[in-house]
Amino acid sequence: MKKSDSNFTIDDFRMGKNQNIQVNPKRYAKFGEFKPIDLLAVAAAREVHDGDVVFAGTGLPMLAIALAQLTTAPTATCIYEAGSVDGRPIDLPTSVGDARCSYQASIASGLMDVFGQLQRGVVDLAFLGGAEIDKYGNVNTTAMGKYGTVPEKRLTGSGGNSDINALSKRTVFIMVQEKRRFKENVDYITSPGWWVPKWPSGKRVSKKEVYGRGFRGGPSAVISDMGVFYFDENGEMYLDTVHPGFTKEQVRENCSFDLNISRVRGETAPPTYEELELLYQRVDPEGIFLP
Amino acid sequence: MGKVERISLPEAIACIPDGSCLTFSGFTIWRRPMAAIYELIRQKKKDLHLVEVNGGTHSDLLIGAGCVKIWESCWIGHELYGKLGANLARKAEAGQLIVEDYSHVHMLYRLAAGSMGLPYLPTYASLGTDILNPAYDNLGTLGYRDGSHPKIPKKKYEIVEDTFNGGWLLHIPASNPDWCIAYVQMVGEEGTVRIEGQIYSDVEAIKAADHVIVIAENIVPEEYIRREPTHNQIPGHQVTYIVELPWAAHPTGSYGRYETDGDFIKKLYQASRTEEGMQSWLDEWVYQIPDHATYLNKLGVTHLESLRANPALGYSNQVKRGQRK
Repeated sequence: MKKSDSNFTIDDFRMGKNQNIQVNPKRYAKFGEFKPIDLLAVAAAREVHDGDVVFAGTGLPMLAIALAQLTTAPTATCIYEAGSVDGRPIDLPTSVGDARCSYQASIASGLMDVFGQLQRGVVDLAFLGGAEIDKYGNVNTTAMGKYGTVPEKRLTGSGGNSDINALSKRTVFIMVQEKRRFKENVDYITSPGWWVPKWPSGKRVSKKEVYGRGFRGGPSAVISDMGVFYFDENGEMYLDTVHPGFTKEQVRENCSFDLNISRVRGETAPPTYEELELLYQRVDPEGIFLP
Repeated sequence: MGKVERISLPEAIACIPDGSCLTFSGFTIWRRPMAAIYELIRQKKKDLHLVEVNGGTHSDLLIGAGCVKIWESCWIGHELYGKLGANLARKAEAGQLIVEDYSHVHMLYRLAAGSMGLPYLPTYASLGTDILNPAYDNLGTLGYRDGSHPKIPKKKYEIVEDTFNGGWLLHIPASNPDWCIAYVQMVGEEGTVRIEGQIYSDVEAIKAADHVIVIAENIVPEEYIRREPTHNQIPGHQVTYIVELPWAAHPTGSYGRYETDGDFIKKLYQASRTEEGMQSWLDEWVYQIPDHATYLNKLGVTHLESLRANPALGYSNQVKRGQRK
């Protein structure tokens, strides 16, 4: 069966259960009927366009891509960083190296293949996270405070975050919203946003200038537990929608930089009952990321 | 053709001198040569220099046991089961470990260049980041790039003009570690390696290293593994020693063989958050354990069986992973 034939009926083949589910997008859950993490997963899933080639990492991105494939993006292809391409897992993977990622994959390869695809420019969208972000989408996952031969507070390091943010056409960051995390300047630029240092001088220039022929795109959205942010023509973050229960002023108060709230369109659409059911019954029935 | 030698794990690890440069198979908490990590700790190796595409439970443990002097990589942690490499963080923050940060692609290309006998590879990855900040070249700052260290390149990287097309590219120096210790599902008696599932960066790591120890779940007749050569990745002449040791990747997982032991790693991570906790964990699970058989007996057959992969799926569907079931 061709997945693209499915229209409003979701071809369930991807989750291997062979049932069809009708989705009525108007049945929104009311405030209080969903958890903040549910909205994060749903908002992230809505960033996936049907047909996208998506690079996903561990955690919420796994929920987002699985939900998107079950709803609005049935022909999206998922690549996991450790080397699985277009898997059709029947059990949610817990990390990108997980054997579950390769279930019914078109190929199980390795990093040279999938990072090569990324550098080649075939990846449309990637989901990433981080400890700190600035208004240009520069992200830190390496160290807090002073860096150097003796760091003040060591974090995990870049992993693929820096490469993926560098070379995907669009990236979406899923972040915890706190004043100390949405910063004027991040302590260490692990992952390149729209205005980046050009070495050896370190002068801030546009990402396009640094990447030249290697330019593919950059950060397109940030989804926090308070709102959804996009980037304007100058590569600066602005608030697009506010999650139910918050005001745009509250979001700005939880930002260290001067957040642009002049373009807010309104409230983030809550999860539909169908999306919640899919998340809890089909995507993560074990309660791995959704306790 | 080099002839591969089949030896025991303690014999293989005894071949690795203090100060060696090491790399490993696997990805974060999958297919790591954990039995070899325990043995390196038992044999009290010192001043090891790790060059790895990414770190994980194995390297954080080796660092926690005080075996490592330099770590060059891009990431360390235990995925869902521990958000940090707590030993690495503690040692780095105390100035007891040298950390050199590259990106995932950079580390991959360092070993890929090494595996092809090239001095460097070009890439666009992670331009415009602090990974390339000249002030953050820690090995350079500490005087290790003077050319007297054969496994440390004289420059962390170079940004070079693309003479074919114009523009700029990053050149990442090759790495050829002294040893690769790999855990795989299957190896032939003559050293032919078969990796099942995602191969991660194992081919690059194995081929880049000067000497290779392959620890396999099974050593099989060479005739068997050669029936389907398209399923194999590494020829025997690029392997030095082979060791047969079932469950040698525990607590990390092995596609088609067993699940990552998440509860075990969670406890290890909790212990690793303090020096005292780490030392008592090492005492219980490494120093007091003379060999791999004793380790498996301590884990117990019921526990191990819960992790065993369902052959149709490639992973265990017996193990409880989430909070609901």
